[in-house]
Amino acid sequence: MDATHIRNFSIIAHIDHGKTTLSDRLLHRTGTIATRDMEAQMLDSMDLERERGITIKAHPVTMTYTAKNGQVYELNLIDTPGHVDFSYEVSRSLSACEGALLIIDAAQGVEAQTVANVHLAMKQNLTIIPVINKIDLPHADVALAKTQLEDILAIPAETAILASAKEGIGIEDILEAIVARIPPPEPTGAASLQALGFDSYFDTYKGVVTHVRVFNGELKAGLQVKLLHSGKNVEVKEVGSFNPKPYIREKLEVGETGYFTANIKSPKEVKMGDTVTDARNPSPALPGFKEIHPMVFSGIYPINTADYEHLKANLAKLQLNDSAFVYQAESSVALGFGFRCGFLGLLHLEIVQERLRREYNMDIIATYPSVVYRVTMTDGTLKEVDNPAFLPEVNYIQKIEEPMVKAFVICPNEYIGDMMALIAEKRGAVDHTETLDSRRVMLTSLLPLNEILIDFHDRIKSITRGFGSMDYEHADYTESDMVKLDMLVNGESVDAFSCIVHRAKAESRGRALAAKLKEVIPKQQYAVAIQGAIGGKIIARETVSAMRKDVTAKCYGGDITRKRKLLEKQKEGKKRMKAFGSVNIPQEAFIEVLKA
Amino acid sequence: MSFEPVTSLYVHVPFCAHKCAYCAFYSEASSGELIQRYVQALIREFELVAAELKPRTIFFGGGTPSLLNLRQWSQILETMERLNLTGAAEWTVECNPATVSLDKARLLRSHGVNRISMGVQSFDDALLDRLGRIHSREMVFKSFDTLRAAGFDNINLDLMFAIPGQTPAVWGQTLDEALALGSEHLSSYEVIYEDDTPLFAQLQAGEFEVDEELACAMYEELVRRAEAAGFQQYEIANFARNQLGGSPLTAESPGIPAHACKHNINYWRGGCYHGLGPSATGYVRGVRTKNWSNTQLYCEQLEKGRRAIESTEKLGALARAGETAAFGLRMNAGWPFEQFRRVTGQDLRHEWRGEMDRLIKQGWARADSEGFQLTPAGLRFADSAAELFLR
Ligand SMILES: Nc1nc2c(ncn2[C@@H]2O[C@H](COP(=O)(O)OP(=O)(O)O)[C@@H](O)[C@H]2O)c(=O)[nH]1
Ligand code: SF4
Ligand SMILES: [Mg+2]
Repeated sequence: MDATHIRNFSIIAHIDHGKTTLSDRLLHRTGTIATRDMEAQMLDSMDLERERGITIKAHPVTMTYTAKNGQVYELNLIDTPGHVDFSYEVSRSLSACEGALLIIDAAQGVEAQTVANVHLAMKQNLTIIPVINKIDLPHADVALAKTQLEDILAIPAETAILASAKEGIGIEDILEAIVARIPPPEPTGAASLQALGFDSYFDTYKGVVTHVRVFNGELKAGLQVKLLHSGKNVEVKEVGSFNPKPYIREKLEVGETGYFTANIKSPKEVKMGDTVTDARNPSPALPGFKEIHPMVFSGIYPINTADYEHLKANLAKLQLNDSAFVYQAESSVALGFGFRCGFLGLLHLEIVQERLRREYNMDIIATYPSVVYRVTMTDGTLKEVDNPAFLPEVNYIQKIEEPMVKAFVICPNEYIGDMMALIAEKRGAVDHTETLDSRRVMLTSLLPLNEILIDFHDRIKSITRGFGSMDYEHADYTESDMVKLDMLVNGESVDAFSCIVHRAKAESRGRALAAKLKEVIPKQQYAVAIQGAIGGKIIARETVSAMRKDVTAKCYGGDITRKRKLLEKQKEGKKRMKAFGSVNIPQEAFIEVLKA
Repeated sequence: MSFEPVTSLYVHVPFCAHKCAYCAFYSEASSGELIQRYVQALIREFELVAAELKPRTIFFGGGTPSLLNLRQWSQILETMERLNLTGAAEWTVECNPATVSLDKARLLRSHGVNRISMGVQSFDDALLDRLGRIHSREMVFKSFDTLRAAGFDNINLDLMFAIPGQTPAVWGQTLDEALALGSEHLSSYEVIYEDDTPLFAQLQAGEFEVDEELACAMYEELVRRAEAAGFQQYEIANFARNQLGGSPLTAESPGIPAHACKHNINYWRGGCYHGLGPSATGYVRGVRTKNWSNTQLYCEQLEKGRRAIESTEKLGALARAGETAAFGLRMNAGWPFEQFRRVTGQDLRHEWRGEMDRLIKQGWARADSEGFQLTPAGLRFADSAAELFLR
């Protein structure tokens, strides 16, 4: 199709504001899917996505729409993951578009994720079409949503379309606005093919299927292409689009969206955001490429040591459809053999763990997550450390910097005090506060990523009884007084519990861990000292007193079989214990603590 | 085919007037009808095993065997006489102090029962109540006199310690009163919190806490006082006098007092026994069996003329020897090497040399040319020690 009749757009929204419902409506209205095929929430294909209401993988869908002017348009909806962990993917997907629908729930108003997403879309210079959704709700407040559009997002209120995705109101207006307001794609003027690879998935028969948006030239089967950032030459085997199922096309031209395959065996070979060009006559790379780097690391271990190989195979499988997920083998004194895994964020980490547990039926345990610290050594060299085990000795360290985030917290007025206290507790600083409406404020603050990893979001939800929301974008690194906290059992460090924490928090964390360890370490024949230490300095201490006895009080004929089985179990358990000096600790004890 | 006859017999009577708070034995309060049906089924079971049984020790346990009435006991005892099962050197019946009558005691004694084990548990009425026992301290004194009057000169008292709420003073008082009674045997053990008992549920619910220190102190007090009163400890929870009517008896083996319970020793020594009645276990020709823990089902099976075995287990020779080694270590006398070899066909000094050396080095055991046994310190860790011997 000629480029003037193509529109590429995304939908951005805070969770539950109606992105999926509206997408389904558009697919339906354009006849892309018939009502009877319309499984509720067509585009979220994984169970987990449906359950959590978050889109994790982006699917481009091509729709054909006959506009009121009688002309036929090809509309490409490039869905974006609905979570900040995937902000790089979001920006990749957004950069494949010329415009975005911004959905705001009329009953909720602007939320944290709305703000973060709008920032991303504006950075890409997209045309934003605001859609005020759910106007069918009795407590919808359209006027307020409009005020917030202007005051918070600086988007003219009169551009907003009123809609109800559920009732099918405003769908026509939205489609017309897409055609009228979003600019058609324009060739870049380069000499040959330039296509942006913005996502991929793995197909058993075809290998890696790369989602692409053609910016210049054309992409067709048989062409030798070069992936500029990956430095790879491949021959295109197949090109096509999605409607929403994949279908083969002869070629993809300027402005068109779809996929190509090329006998690529591993998604690692295609970098997210890479530029695909003609191998014989290469054009320059499209702007905006960044290597994606995992932001959060955690060790994943099989609970049953015998499952190691199995876990390894499953991690490889997972990676096939999740190129942002990285892993490498590591071992721990406490947990045995496992993998150091890197994730884009905490949600990504949770998703990977949950998929391992559910889809792959694995019993796993994850160690305390860590961010990536930048350590400047006394000799001036720079080291990146994502595992406390590799933090250099203090006397070699000149400074440690930690990654920060700019967080948007939106909450009802009455909770401002508690929210400020929470942000302070998390070592954050509120940069500014804005009134959203008569009920809510938005706090923009700078916080260490490390502090929002564990329970920041949950705490916001509980403080505000569910009415608060939070989103963030990555900010720069800042120098911080970080220390390595070691947990020692009878003087020996238990690696699984070491962590890098801020000095001000080391003591309380050390005490909490020591207390927890005391609960789970079974009594031994000798007293066991549990200590938390920074460098050589002990900052927390607990003692597991010596076991005084291990004897069945009475045992006669009827008890023998049962008792023997108990003893066998106890013996079996001890075999799986890890020795720390003279202390034997069952792996279950460590797992217990990590679970808490 | 002919076998060595089995010389030990256990009979389970699965009825109690009321269920105690800590009890995990298979027993329940039942209608007279079911009890009668049980007696008939038991008689049938006696008939099924009589041919290969020549009991030297018999133990009627429960439940509460003394709950059976005079007529039921007569039926059982007469059956045993008819089948040539009486005349055991040691024949024990468990009694609840609330259910002992002179008539019943005389009936038992006259048929050859020569040992009574009385579940006293405590001499403190408040604690008895706490445990859900149906008897009072007064009934213990009365029953003890009744048993003596009926001619029982070998009586065991069961006592519990570390009962929630029990202070060292109350325990000391109970020990004083128990020892003053002058029984021949004493079984005393720390409360065990068995799954699915009310006491365990209370513990889980945090109604009280277990004080390990206190329990250990009470155990030490027990051993000290019992020994001072002329008892000899021969197993973790068992103490017996060494004199019978002033004349020393030949001990079964060294380190075992004359009034030790031979029936129980047979368990710890890996001996054979038949077990009759619901939930009873047996160990015959290397096979462990367990009867159904359901009186109804038990009766149905025997009414059809077959035994009511729920499960059987046969371990390999080495595993069986390991089990035997493990349980024998509960006895102060431990294992004489020769005896162990006779029972199991294995030599402790070969297969378990490493384990023995390790325990000796730890101070938990000692050995000489005759045998191997746990020290008093080792007996406190008998499970850790026993576990090493399992194969
Ligand atoms: N009343 C009403 N509910 C809607 C509307 N659009 C979506 N919803 C509901 O809002 C919830 C979240 O919608 P969904 O499309 O999954 O939101 P997403 O998280 O942005 O994808 C679902 O229960 C929808 O049925 C609407 O226009 N009106
Ligand atoms: S009397 Fe004995 S068998 Fe019966 S419930 Fe009490 S402890 Fe259990
Ligand atoms: Mg959705």
